[in-house]
Amino acid sequence: MEAERREQIAKALVERSKADETEVIIATDDRALTRFTHNAIHQNLASANAEARIRVIVGGRTGVASANAGDERALGEGLERALELAGFAPADPLLPELPRPARYAPPAHAFIEATNQASPERQTQIADAIFAAATDGIWAAGYVATTRNGITISNSQSVMASFDSTDAACNAKLTATDSSGYAERFSHDVDEIDGRAIGTIAGDKARRSAHPRAVDPGDWTVILEPAAFGELLAYLTGHFSAQAYDEGSSFFSHNRGLQFAGENVTVVDDFSHPLHRGMPFDYEGTPTKRVALVERGAATGIVTDTTWAAKLGWDNTGHALPAPNAWGPHPRNVVVEAGSKSVEQLIAQTKRGLLISRFWYIRTVDQRKTIVTGMTRDGTFLIEDGELRGGVRNMRFNQSIIEALAGCEFSDTQARTGGYSYSIVVPAAKIERFCFTSLTDF
Amino acid sequence: MEFERGAARALDSALHQGASYADIRYERVREERVEVRNGEVATLSDERSAGYGIRAFCDGAWGFAASDDAGDAGLDGTAARAVAIARASASIAKHRFAEAPSECYVDRFATPVESDPGNVPVGQRVAYLLDVEKHLHAEPTIRVGRAWIDLWHTEKEFYSTTGSKIEQTIVQSGSGIRALAVSDDDAQDRSFPGDIGFYQAGGWEIVEQARLRENASRIGEEAHRLLSAPQAPAGEMDIILGSSQMSLQIHESCGHAAELDRIMGWEANFSGTSFLDPSLVGKLKYGSELVTILIDNTLPRGLATVGYDDEGAKSVKSDVIRDGMLVGFEMSRDTARTIGRPTNACVRAQNWQYVPMIRMCNLVLLPGDRPFEALFEGVRDGLYMESNRSWSIDDHRLNFQFGCQIGFEIKDGKRGRMVKNPTYAGVTPQFWNSCDAIADAASWVAWGTPNCGKGEPMQTGRTAQCASPARFRNVKVGVGYGG
Repeated sequence: MEAERREQIAKALVERSKADETEVIIATDDRALTRFTHNAIHQNLASANAEARIRVIVGGRTGVASANAGDERALGEGLERALELAGFAPADPLLPELPRPARYAPPAHAFIEATNQASPERQTQIADAIFAAATDGIWAAGYVATTRNGITISNSQSVMASFDSTDAACNAKLTATDSSGYAERFSHDVDEIDGRAIGTIAGDKARRSAHPRAVDPGDWTVILEPAAFGELLAYLTGHFSAQAYDEGSSFFSHNRGLQFAGENVTVVDDFSHPLHRGMPFDYEGTPTKRVALVERGAATGIVTDTTWAAKLGWDNTGHALPAPNAWGPHPRNVVVEAGSKSVEQLIAQTKRGLLISRFWYIRTVDQRKTIVTGMTRDGTFLIEDGELRGGVRNMRFNQSIIEALAGCEFSDTQARTGGYSYSIVVPAAKIERFCFTSLTDF
Repeated sequence: MEFERGAARALDSALHQGASYADIRYERVREERVEVRNGEVATLSDERSAGYGIRAFCDGAWGFAASDDAGDAGLDGTAARAVAIARASASIAKHRFAEAPSECYVDRFATPVESDPGNVPVGQRVAYLLDVEKHLHAEPTIRVGRAWIDLWHTEKEFYSTTGSKIEQTIVQSGSGIRALAVSDDDAQDRSFPGDIGFYQAGGWEIVEQARLRENASRIGEEAHRLLSAPQAPAGEMDIILGSSQMSLQIHESCGHAAELDRIMGWEANFSGTSFLDPSLVGKLKYGSELVTILIDNTLPRGLATVGYDDEGAKSVKSDVIRDGMLVGFEMSRDTARTIGRPTNACVRAQNWQYVPMIRMCNLVLLPGDRPFEALFEGVRDGLYMESNRSWSIDDHRLNFQFGCQIGFEIKDGKRGRMVKNPTYAGVTPQFWNSCDAIADAASWVAWGTPNCGKGEPMQTGRTAQCASPARFRNVKVGVGYGG
């Protein structure tokens, strides 16, 4: 569904609504994803969906309904249901007005025609290129995906914001007899997804980490590649939400400006970074501002949405999630500023440590102390006297993220990494005293 | 059946395009939610979606395409897309993962519902939660109270080129409360029932059974008391896990480990593999002889209970662990065939947009023979833990570390003082072999997990793990807090 059609639908619903205020989000998702294992495709899929999300406010009472955007009757029923629901909600006399029109600055890189036109055969070719690197008994598992997303947000204050983007993603785990290696790539442009390169990196890691040795858990110097560091940091980003700050679940709640890390640590939320998806407004149609979350080691920035900006009397930074949202605003485009040394230099300057490709299953152990636990996975290497000395068996860590950032150094190159719920741009990070608590048999 | 004509067109179209088999799953999904946060209605929503997913089998490979466009052009185009994707998969296939199904079922299924949620006015739901949430604020330290209700209704139709026509109405409901207590240097969460609420297949009776109002003040008080409670001990000791934590323990260290697609490497790059292997059936002593875990997708009120799974296979009951021995897996048709077994119908998709895949569905740990309180007898120095707070397990499903919201010391067979931040860790088979007591059916609960993540693109599955509290000997505790 093109932006023009989305805007027609949204405008018509807003005009039809009898509510005091109405917001309509039309979101389209057209994706294709190819999964492979043992050097063959085992799942291959495509899906297309267009959803309408309708929020109405009547006398300070809010109701939300969603429906298929391409179904005229369903849209009408959705609007009626939202109005009906609002009638059952208690009035909130302090409910702020919906945002007013603003200017947006969408980046030029967000929509790439090659990705939009990618065929099942294109994804198959990328997968096949990865298989070519999986030789000598090594096998590949992973995925190749392309997506096209469109979003339009319209409201009764005359906001009309539309944005279209494409994205391509690929990762591969190559598995040998007793070791494995991992590589990934995310880009707006499917032509930048080089299956052979991904397969080569992952295969090389699998080979070099063969016959992993056991090392003792305890405090280690670690160098986290972007996939590992990004996943770790994703468990800190929620602390910079106005809701977390206010309710007391953030590590710097009611202590804005807390100096917790070195002056080399600066973290921003910046939708316009060329590696991010580039949506220039939030899910209420407010322009998303660049927010410095951590400035030279101090926790300074807090993101807001319409509700929390009004509650706390702060600026609206444009970080709302889609209604209904009981979890508050969230920084969705986090970027960690790079350092000055290459990963090779960081390794060369390490007397004894570990190079970690990837983490797995990180979960918060202690919210306020920012302690998380998780596992290493798919390529963990011993560093001795500045050189890689082969693979080590995987270990579990328990580590405070803010304490890790208090003694860290970043590489000079950033990469985008992420999972299904986040996207983050980070360099590799060298961290002193990273705490491992147990060892596995593999 | 509402979609029969559209289904016939899509299946004909897939066959015409060259598929040797195809099926189509049409769903109309409704999800209602009310959530109250600190006296305000934070969520009052009614979300609906309708669409279909087509699986096409062609040249030995599957293709899947989904769309919300139910017009003739949409049906034809989506069928053609599914076939084209299958052909693309087949073009580089070095071996086959699949064969076309041959089964045919014509049937209907509906979740038994005692009290239709539609008969409970929205205003009544809102008023109930506002009242419940108010009681969480038992102390000034409670900075956040939350109370919520989820009501889910799915109409599902399944058709295949082998003649299957299956119509299902699935009703699932859940509710819960959570209190966050905050001091200058600490934040402590308590939730009820369990850590994510109480979810089962059924109607409003499931919400009533949760007894939120009766427990709200206690939960608020416990969150407050945890702020000043001593730190849970570290070391090695006997532990007793409450039934909701047992649900999590089963989910992570048995349910996921026994998914046959994971064992075959189908999730290797993401959710991981498993320490299990088909050659271990009948040989691996997974747990002590007290441990018997079934898959029962016919279980009344089980959150994953359906008549037929999402590849049109009829729900059955089967064993995973019998008297401590590994005996089976969660399977689909294609994976079951590789080990010479019939499917046990464990295939689900999040909704019409998603490709069906293996899910753990309803896992049932059979209850033991003694009352819950009797588990404490014989524990000289131990720890009782309840309600999950943190969960992590490696990608082979062996090395785990779990934390709970609340703990109680056990001294000389009696429950002692409350402790905060309790954690424990272990390795799956060693841990289950240390189980020496399981409480009886009086404390057995069919817990639902509404948010299990697996697959790419990530799908949220609804599973159930049914358990009584259980006792484990000599377990490492206090990890993450110096242990």
